[in-house]
Amino acid sequence: MDQEYRALRRVTAVGLAVSLSLLLGGCPSPWVRPEPQGGGPVIPPQPAPAPAAPATPPPPPPRPQAPPRENHLSPATRSLVTQAHTLLAHGDIDGASSTLDRALRIEPSNPLLWIELGRVRLVDANAHQAEVCARKALALASGDPATQAQAGRVLIDALRAQGRNQEAQQVESQPYMH
Amino acid sequence: MPNVARSRIRRWRIFFIVSGLLVIVLAVGGALWVAHLDRVVTREFQGRLWSIPARVYAAPLELYVGAPVSANELEQELRGLHYRHGDPSAGAGIYQRVGNAFDIQARRVRFIDELRLPERVSIHADASAITGMRLSSGADLPVFRLDPPVIGSLFPIHGEDRLVVAPADVPPLLRSGIKLIEDRRFDEHHGVDFYGVLRAIWANLRAGRVVQGGSTLTQQLVKNYFLSDEQTFGRKATEAVMAMRIEAHYSKEDILVAYLNEVYLGQDGARAIHGFGLGSEYYFAKPLGELEPAELALLIGLVKGPSLYDPRKHPDRALARRNLVLKELAEAHLIDAQTAKRALASLLGLRPPGGSYVPAYIDLVRRHLKRDYAEADLAAAGLSVYTSLDLHAQAAAERALTQNLQRLDARAHVRTEHLEGAVIVVEPNSGDVVAVVGGRDVDASGFNRALDARRPIGSLVKPAVYLTALESGRYTAASLIEDAPIELKLPDGSIWAPQNFERQVYGQVPLARALAESMNLATVRLGLDLGLPKVAATLEQLGLESPPTLNPSLLLGTVEMSPLEVVQVYTTLADGGFRTRLRAVRAVLDEQGRPLKSFKVQVEAVAPPAAVYELDRMLMLVPTHGTARDAAARLPRGLVIAGKTGTSSDTRDSWFAGFTGSYLSVVWVGYDDNRETGLTGAAGALPVWADTMASLKPLSFDPVAPETVEERWIGFNDGLETTATCGADAVKIAVPRNTQLPANPSCISAPKPSVGDKVKEWIKSIVH
Repeated sequence: MDQEYRALRRVTAVGLAVSLSLLLGGCPSPWVRPEPQGGGPVIPPQPAPAPAAPATPPPPPPRPQAPPRENHLSPATRSLVTQAHTLLAHGDIDGASSTLDRALRIEPSNPLLWIELGRVRLVDANAHQAEVCARKALALASGDPATQAQAGRVLIDALRAQGRNQEAQQVESQPYMH
Repeated sequence: MPNVARSRIRRWRIFFIVSGLLVIVLAVGGALWVAHLDRVVTREFQGRLWSIPARVYAAPLELYVGAPVSANELEQELRGLHYRHGDPSAGAGIYQRVGNAFDIQARRVRFIDELRLPERVSIHADASAITGMRLSSGADLPVFRLDPPVIGSLFPIHGEDRLVVAPADVPPLLRSGIKLIEDRRFDEHHGVDFYGVLRAIWANLRAGRVVQGGSTLTQQLVKNYFLSDEQTFGRKATEAVMAMRIEAHYSKEDILVAYLNEVYLGQDGARAIHGFGLGSEYYFAKPLGELEPAELALLIGLVKGPSLYDPRKHPDRALARRNLVLKELAEAHLIDAQTAKRALASLLGLRPPGGSYVPAYIDLVRRHLKRDYAEADLAAAGLSVYTSLDLHAQAAAERALTQNLQRLDARAHVRTEHLEGAVIVVEPNSGDVVAVVGGRDVDASGFNRALDARRPIGSLVKPAVYLTALESGRYTAASLIEDAPIELKLPDGSIWAPQNFERQVYGQVPLARALAESMNLATVRLGLDLGLPKVAATLEQLGLESPPTLNPSLLLGTVEMSPLEVVQVYTTLADGGFRTRLRAVRAVLDEQGRPLKSFKVQVEAVAPPAAVYELDRMLMLVPTHGTARDAAARLPRGLVIAGKTGTSSDTRDSWFAGFTGSYLSVVWVGYDDNRETGLTGAAGALPVWADTMASLKPLSFDPVAPETVEERWIGFNDGLETTATCGADAVKIAVPRNTQLPANPSCISAPKPSVGDKVKEWIKSIVH
């Protein structure tokens, strides 16, 4: 609680740049996708000592790549996001959060809304919840690099706010961040 | 002589002193007694009178272009919220409908995040959805919500649910009618009506039995507070003194309103119905202010003997009593002759079961208030509790459960006991609980099976085993496992030899099929290979609250969970590995509209999204190729769902847990006394689930694939890679990107697996 309030004082309401000085250590670390050290691209977890995998694998049959996705807000959710921004600008964090909840009930799997919610959590100095929102947005934004970059930005801020700079750096070096 | 006189005087003196002392003692004792009663009764009265309960609201209906609300449904909604048809310019709460166009003057409403002032809106809808919305000014209106429906009141601290009526909300006819029937001299007496008592004694003497009581409303109120029907003299005296003390402290108005909120009006299972507000909801499903004279007369008549005149058990007696009250009201000119005539001819008009009376849901609200809010904050007066209850989902779940249980009972004709069941519906993304049905008698507030019935979950546990396998990186949905008999020596020396439900053995099967067809032997082998502690850890990660016993039978679901706990676990599976805390309460606002601080932990990332996605694709095969195939007939065509059936040993419990893109629901069916039902999860719980879901117009389940996985086709029976069109049993699974899958040579030209690999696979299957 104290940490939250201390942090709240330090964070400016709308400028979402949460500075490195916000060392909010001690938050429980959630599941983190196993990522290679050194900031290389994500390598998928190796499958089983593959049952019945041939020694020299034949080229897999060509599989169509999923078309790049693009996430949008509907007019309804866009108006709610605007409303949430207004509430946030007036310092009404609870109101902004409830308004985004409302938008999420209309479009529960829209990563853009989870990104917005993550930003509100950052302003609320709840870096841990911001991190979870950002991770959820990242998962939902799969195949949409522009949205992934936005989600990555929130994730980086959330990790830094928890003093997890190394993890933040790893996110920074993900391909979608460039 | 002087001695005699002196001793006489002394005796008199002693007598006076003793009796004087006695009088003093009695007076002091009496005063203390009265003071004590005064304290007791005023404390009770004060506590009840001035505590304004929290109002509880269901979720408001969101309207936006495309929202699945038809014109007729919109009108039903408005009527449910007591909007009147008329000229909207006349005031708030009025709407006009011309064809599919609505002109609505919305009321001033307090929402969680804003206070909306009265607003005039025009909304267009067609036969399936909202097609256009504007403000009357012509301005664009992208999103608009209707008023949140009130579903009850409760005292968050001591948990009673009571629909307390404020003085201004008491219908005038009730005010005068109750005095007329129960206590004609209420406005004159001081708590005890001595004239009335004499009259009652005279009447009783003449009749030779008790035909009249002389209790005033105030005395009845006292009796209700201290709940005893004892008819001793001491009891009566106490009651009389307390009644007079209340009258000394409070106004007639306060006492009358307290009485109307306190009087006992009937019994609903284990719950007593107190007060006219709750009575009105319980018997007529209407707010008190909307009752017709005949309905008010029924409630007034009930005061004399709620069980004697119970309109459900003794409709004839209740009708006679109601008509007697109506005649007296007419004689006293409280209603005119025409109204009386019409009322006398009307039916009892009891509400059908169901409706906006939702004790099982309120039960969860109460628990979540305790969980998420500080007790001191909840003690404040006049709170508003905003819940996520969706009245449509609630009604759909209630209907699906009662109808299916009736059908199933009819099949099991030898049974005297009735099947029971429970349904919970949530929105997995938000954790919002939208419906809770605690049993087939949806109005009863007794045992809430949805929250409190802890039963073995049977095969509902299996997804945790398979998720553990996928997470380990050693298995994919296509990996082959052995479905073959297995015997285990348990620590207590006994031998455990599980069997498949159909008592068959299937040999080598891919994980996807073993899960879809719920194979016990394959699952036990897989789970033992992974290790019981790992499987238990997965269950806890997903949301199981207490660690399960590490017995091999855990792999077949001997672990006991309530439907609510199952919902928590499956929500994590439906939401890509994010565990969202279930909530019935979205917010609590104080009297000024400020939110109370809640202990909110909302979402945690608890399982790797890739493994969860791979598992979800397997769970999507359960309804297409596995044990839940019967669901399709009850669902909209083409709706994609995922889920799992569960049957505990000897078919004592029938479960289905499943989800669409919009909702997740868990259904349990069984007997309260734990007897065998003869029903599998597919035969008992699944139809309830499917009927509930079909009414909710859900979106298809369509999870976003993480970039680290890709979709592939395999043969359902042999696990070999194939194409969508090759072979009759091709199913789509998800595997980590670039996984090497052995191919079906007649579909994909790739080398067969080497003999060495086959031997390895075989050795693996017998080693574990």
